[in-house]
Amino acid sequence: MSDLHWLTAMEAAQAIAARKLSPVELMKALLERIARLDPKLNVFIHLDSDAAMGAARAAEAEITSGSLRGPLHGVPVGIKDIIDVAGLATTCHSKILIDNVAAADAVCVSRLRGTGAIVLGKLSTHEFAIGGPSFDLPWPPARNPWNPDHHPGGSSSGSGSGIAAGLFPMALGSDTGGSVRNPASACGIVGLKPTYGLVSRRGVFPLSFTLDQVGPLTRTVADNALMLDIIAGHDPLDPGSVAAPSGHYGTGLDRGVRGLRIGFIRHFHESDLPADPEVAAGLENVAATLQKLGADIRDIRLPTLGEFAAVNRVILQSEAWAIHGPWLRERPGDYGQLARRRLMAGAFMSAGDYVQAARRRLEMVAAVEDTLRQVDVLLCASAMDPPSRLDDPVETERTYPRQARTPFNVTGHPALAMVAGLSSTGLPLSVQFVGRNFAEATLFQVAREWERAAGTEEKHPPIG
Amino acid sequence: MDKAMIELLARRAGLDKALTEFPEDVAAAAEQASGSVARMKAPTDPRAEPWPPMKAGTGL
Repeated sequence: MSDLHWLTAMEAAQAIAARKLSPVELMKALLERIARLDPKLNVFIHLDSDAAMGAARAAEAEITSGSLRGPLHGVPVGIKDIIDVAGLATTCHSKILIDNVAAADAVCVSRLRGTGAIVLGKLSTHEFAIGGPSFDLPWPPARNPWNPDHHPGGSSSGSGSGIAAGLFPMALGSDTGGSVRNPASACGIVGLKPTYGLVSRRGVFPLSFTLDQVGPLTRTVADNALMLDIIAGHDPLDPGSVAAPSGHYGTGLDRGVRGLRIGFIRHFHESDLPADPEVAAGLENVAATLQKLGADIRDIRLPTLGEFAAVNRVILQSEAWAIHGPWLRERPGDYGQLARRRLMAGAFMSAGDYVQAARRRLEMVAAVEDTLRQVDVLLCASAMDPPSRLDDPVETERTYPRQARTPFNVTGHPALAMVAGLSSTGLPLSVQFVGRNFAEATLFQVAREWERAAGTEEKHPPIG
Repeated sequence: MDKAMIELLARRAGLDKALTEFPEDVAAAAEQASGSVARMKAPTDPRAEPWPPMKAGTGL
């Protein structure tokens, strides 16, 4: 088998289960690629290569003896370093937690390991999933494999960069204001923020209790659905967890979009935050392609992105201040500058501001619910610009908030970002699909049809 | 928000150390906060409830 690093999680799992591929051979190939490329990309905070190789050998022995643990047996996965892996530090990419060794796996990690997945290591993030990209932290920021001079998106930066570079086929990230969907957009892969409460947050360091959600990042839609099958499910010890039916997210992948009603939120990228022309053209191309394939495309209006962003910020920064206040009072110098500035903002918001944001939030939830009674899925921009250069903090600061991801953290609806094409400079452009609560299967159905039509799964960055 | 107000609120929040060591960061944080609050539209209906709502526990 050639090009093992471009195998999807599903292809690798099937080949391993059929004994056509050894998990040890796969792990060796990925570790060699990581050794070659990670010095350029800074994907890993901690590469747990010995443990990963040990687990690959154990998987090989088990499979050879006829014991298959589950659908990901022997397949490597990367974990964003705000998510606990037993015995490894959860640093949150910060000096504050540099020695914070986790006693147990987060529920999402435990579920993946239960199906035989192998943890490769802990991945770069923005400091505490908010302060980045930064050069004043104990580890450098991750870089974009499509062009290492550019930002890979964040805060699940290592997750996005590593998958796109072929260092591993799947990873976990977290999404509070778009942090799974941003790296998926910037790195040209697939990232899902599930419905709030679908995936347990237990064992994940919080940024904002009512906005945080764990999500899968993969190179293909089918892999994303498979990962969600495994990590979704009720956890009575997570107060936000919902006892909703889950699983079988990939069953409708090949149903196509004929007859589906898709609401196109053009005002997000046309008037709220006018997008780069190539981004706008990419979105029109996605809509036109899905229409040709039988979807009924309709224009939809929601509150403006500015309103959504303000509500997201007030809630996020108030809740984050409640978490970080003690450290910011005693150890402000142990944070990088970006995190320090963003996390202290909550100190300047009142209880009344927070409650007003929560009241406005209910109106926004109702607005999205209303539109999803008229259509099955929403289509809109994810990022308004191709990824910025990492050495241009002014451009990064300008483009970072130019996005349409925060609305669906505010409302809790599931949202998936994926590649929509490439810019003239060879950087990924993106599109976002949004669904009804707990209707991730429909999102995957639409996303798969776009992936199939555009052939996006065959496109890889020119690296290595 | 003027400098005196920023200092007052920062000290009330216990950020004395940050105010001494990183005064520009404290000012930038205050500016971010006031910008977000100013851009937010409050509901006009006095009966509008917050989300998520209070719910009785079911024995966590």
